[in-house]
Amino acid sequence: MPAISAEKLQKAYSSIWGKRVSPAQSASNGSQTNALTGLTLEVREGETFGFLGPNGAGKTTTILLLLNLIRPTSGSVELFGRPATDFAVHRRLGYLPESVNLHDYYTGRGLLEFYAGLLEVPISGRKARIADLLQLLRLEDAAEKRVSKYSKGMLQRLGFAQAMLHDPDLLILDEPTASLDPVGRKEFRDILLELKRRGKTIFISSHILSEVETVCDRVAILEKGELKKVGTLQELSSSTSTRLFLRNVPGTVLEALSKMPAEVTMISGHVTIKCADAGTRAAVEELLRQYNIQPDKSEVETQSLENIFFSSIAPPPKL
Amino acid sequence: MNVIFLIARDSIRALLHQRLLIALILVSLGLTVVSTIIMNFQRRQINDEFLDGADMNSPAFKNMSEEDKRRMQETMEQSMSTIEAFFYAAGSFGGSLVSLFIFSTAVTSEIRRGTIRLTLSKPISRIQYLLGKYLGGVVVMAAYAIIASLAMVVFSASSHVELSPVMKWAPWLMFCRQLMLGSLAMLLSLFVHPAIAGALAFFAGNGFYSVHNPLYYVLPSYAPFNIFFQILQGAFVDGHDVALLTLYAMDFVILMLLLSWWRFQRKEVC
Repeated sequence: MPAISAEKLQKAYSSIWGKRVSPAQSASNGSQTNALTGLTLEVREGETFGFLGPNGAGKTTTILLLLNLIRPTSGSVELFGRPATDFAVHRRLGYLPESVNLHDYYTGRGLLEFYAGLLEVPISGRKARIADLLQLLRLEDAAEKRVSKYSKGMLQRLGFAQAMLHDPDLLILDEPTASLDPVGRKEFRDILLELKRRGKTIFISSHILSEVETVCDRVAILEKGELKKVGTLQELSSSTSTRLFLRNVPGTVLEALSKMPAEVTMISGHVTIKCADAGTRAAVEELLRQYNIQPDKSEVETQSLENIFFSSIAPPPKL
Repeated sequence: MNVIFLIARDSIRALLHQRLLIALILVSLGLTVVSTIIMNFQRRQINDEFLDGADMNSPAFKNMSEEDKRRMQETMEQSMSTIEAFFYAAGSFGGSLVSLFIFSTAVTSEIRRGTIRLTLSKPISRIQYLLGKYLGGVVVMAAYAIIASLAMVVFSASSHVELSPVMKWAPWLMFCRQLMLGSLAMLLSLFVHPAIAGALAFFAGNGFYSVHNPLYYVLPSYAPFNIFFQILQGAFVDGHDVALLTLYAMDFVILMLLLSWWRFQRKEVC
């Protein structure tokens, strides 16, 4: 059963009286914006899923729909096989919003106690759980301090603590490291990797591609409310380029290879053959078979997430 | 149920940290106290005018004619009724302002600040959230009514005067009216800006319309809860009427909460 399942999800915002209209109508209506247009997405249990897109792509709208804080214009959302409108399913999820707005009249510990009450965290283990999270997120010294006195980074960490209070099966994180310093980001990444190891489902919306690349199993790229790409980093790599590595290649073979469309380089007896496409690779492998040569290693070239991201979205306007 | 109490407790905590609300409560209570002091001062002046500062056991009083004694007694009673009526009016008006402020901002302030997102991401239904917010407001209004009643008792004791029987119902009726106003303000705040919602709720009573206007039969009836003139005229308010008014207020509040729930279920909180 998928942890998150969105089916043909559409969301249109209107600036006049908050009235919704259909996407077809909205196309001709300047006062209305389509935040999402038919998003179909599935996040499997136990996977770490990166949700990418430029500003205004519809990432936060998707998250608000998952949490039933806003209603879809059409389509449906399910969490663990139950409709997102069923508030009971929220027992299994933890949420960290992009801008962490917390009740600032509590102390850090007091706020966590309030949320623990709402989450029905057993009273017997509540204090210990809160203490552990405060320590994990380096907030124990600020535990008795008013939340209104917290810095942005501390608020972000406290927000993360409240999301993890009940050890949820699904974590929905919207720009989780936006306000963290490099040390905080590293610590946060380590926590995510630990949660991932424990089989938690993590849904991260982020602008920090390197972070997503490090922790995510799959990513989706969204632009102007439309899903552009979804898959593992390897699947998303549009490159079919392959490199074959060989040693001690006879001169006759090198000569034959030089006549092929492959790019051949030799450094200290180590030969690298770069095949730009599958056809070239097949031809090179056939040639090597004829000479009874086995490549030591072959490597499918993958693009960086940044390359995948920028090739998926419209290029930014030139300055 | 536990969740409703937690939201209510949080709501009370939030309200007690709102400087504007605290200022409003203090001004309302201050207004009540000041109006009483002024009226008490005037009563003493009347007393002095008749008795030249002497008390009822003084020779001056004993030498007065029966007619003068009766006139003085009537004036004293009238003066006391006026004090009570003004005390009630000040307390009631101040309480209404406090109620409108509390209930019209209860949900909307959380939406504006964005704190509602985290709260509603927890396993809480919207009706639980709404009831918790309303309950928090009710507790604060009850505290306000108790403080206003205590102030009334303290000032009547310090002025050595007995409160008229109608005054014993005043805090309860005031409280019921404020809860009605609050529930309507809460509903309207889910459609319009809280300030507009507060103003609309205040002026939505059918006292502003004649019985020939159909709106009279649709709009809430705050007027029977206002016992200013009964206090002034020393009229009697019986327990049966108070019970009926309480049922009316409960009925109205439940209806408003149901409508608020209907609206809040559909409201996008982003």
